[in-house]
Amino acid sequence: MREKTFLESFCRHRLGVIGFIGVALILLAGIVGPFFVPFQRGYGEAMPLVGPSGGNILGTDALGLDLFSEIIWGARTSVLISASAVLVAMFIGIPLGLVSGYSRGKIGALIDSAIEITMTIPTLPLMILISALVGPSVRTVALVIGVFAWPTLARIVRNSTLKVSQMQYIEAAKVLGISKGSIMFKHILLNIAGPALVDITLIMATAVLTESSLSYLGLGDPNVWSWGGILQTAFKAGHHFRAWWLVIFPAASIMLYVIFFNLLGIGINETLNPKSRK
Amino acid sequence: MSRYIALRLAKGLLTFFIAVTITFLIVRLMPGDPTTALISDSLSPEDALVLKESFGLDKPLYQQYFLFIRNLLKGDLGYSFFYKDSVASIIGNKLWWTLLLMGSSLFMTLLIGIPLGVISAKHQGKLLDQAINVAVVIGVSIFVPLLAFLLLYSFSFKLMWTPIGGAYSPGIDPSKMFGSVVSHMILPCATLVITYLASTVLYMRNSMLDVLKEDYVRTAKAKGVNDRKVTWSHALRNALIPTVTVTGLMIGKMVAGAVLTETVFSWPGVGTMIYDAVQKQDFPLLQGAFLVLAASVVVMTLITDLVVAWLDPRIKL
Repeated sequence: MREKTFLESFCRHRLGVIGFIGVALILLAGIVGPFFVPFQRGYGEAMPLVGPSGGNILGTDALGLDLFSEIIWGARTSVLISASAVLVAMFIGIPLGLVSGYSRGKIGALIDSAIEITMTIPTLPLMILISALVGPSVRTVALVIGVFAWPTLARIVRNSTLKVSQMQYIEAAKVLGISKGSIMFKHILLNIAGPALVDITLIMATAVLTESSLSYLGLGDPNVWSWGGILQTAFKAGHHFRAWWLVIFPAASIMLYVIFFNLLGIGINETLNPKSRK
Repeated sequence: MSRYIALRLAKGLLTFFIAVTITFLIVRLMPGDPTTALISDSLSPEDALVLKESFGLDKPLYQQYFLFIRNLLKGDLGYSFFYKDSVASIIGNKLWWTLLLMGSSLFMTLLIGIPLGVISAKHQGKLLDQAINVAVVIGVSIFVPLLAFLLLYSFSFKLMWTPIGGAYSPGIDPSKMFGSVVSHMILPCATLVITYLASTVLYMRNSMLDVLKEDYVRTAKAKGVNDRKVTWSHALRNALIPTVTVTGLMIGKMVAGAVLTETVFSWPGVGTMIYDAVQKQDFPLLQGAFLVLAASVVVMTLITDLVVAWLDPRIKL
């Protein structure tokens, strides 16, 4: 019998598939959704603070804007920020993890301490300080989240690199005289792509939690709609007890986004390492 | 043992030193004039000049750095824009509330999570395992303000079982203070416990499963020690070591949870203060909040390290 491909095994992981479909829907909503929403940017014709009804399926906010449209626009913000944050985290975390795992010695120890210390520091208050100083914008928030999201990725890349670099084909590559950089960024990186990908999906999830927390605290980009921003407006104006939909729907969007990405990550992880599935 | 403590202490100090340096550099190297971030524009020119000199903003960067550290060592964290008072004394009044909330939540999480983890390790089964896994996924996906709001909405707003916010009823008789604080703390504490419980149960369960496979557990059983004693005294102590270590790593994340929780319940701690400081663009207060929270995390991590050392006599060698 031939060996199953990754895709075939993944398709049998029910939670992973649910996560994949959810993630696909969110990406779709974020990328093309804003072109189709009932009320595009601007003021709606509805009354303010009306609950879910036929005209506005998720109700309206204090300005009479359609909440459903805001949430679709919010999906775009979340996708944009979390994807950019992940890119930043990859840019820092992958090279550091590779170098730390492959060259060990003093540089490795230094990077390890950097990982540990960054993980100990309470990053949310630091991100708040930076965003407040620089002034909140999509770019600031994405950068700040990415700059503090790299340690988990670096640690996973490092641990996988430690394992892979013991393997014979790496020895063979060394004997053949292939350069250190080429071994790390080509031969090792390709073989640790799996675990790295798992962590990247998990970072997508935590990035949205952080982004939403920052905008909930009032540090979101004031020029775009975001799920946390909708919450911030509702809480600040004291509408959260009267207009429950202004809290529940954006917060549920945040949690669904996070859950789908986490499920996708678990699915990929358990397909790659069937042993971890207990 | 003393070498272990010295090493941990050094690491804690290094962590705090790095947090301080990051803060210094962020404020100084930010685009724009650092004076706008440090000195309120509502101050009189004379007062502003005095403050400017205390920060050494006209001196080269390395001298400013020494001044910054010296001020910190003196307990001087700057001057709040909004409250027109020293940041250290403002935060000093709020920090205890935050530490109280975090400490109680951490304690409750371990108090509930450890036995649950042990029990679930002893009763392995597909259904239970799945329930724990689902709970963990939901736990790491919780958006704290939502959970806090749901608890507040149902228990305080609808059922009116618990107070609606704050940490105690204003003007209450000092003898009833304790009960008042407890009733105000139930929901914020529950928010944090629910958020972090599942991971604790999972860690405890996994490390318990590992320990139960060890030879000394089999030996104890073979000697005829009863199963309950083997589990709850022999195995538990060793299984606690990784759990406590992981809990130490969780503290940094818990600060984020506490900050968000406080804002929903108007808990008078550093979190609610941060929220207000963001609205008022009070940068010195935000800077002080980060430094104080970083110091608290370092201290709490050190405490968990000591607990690990106490649990694991091998470290003393």
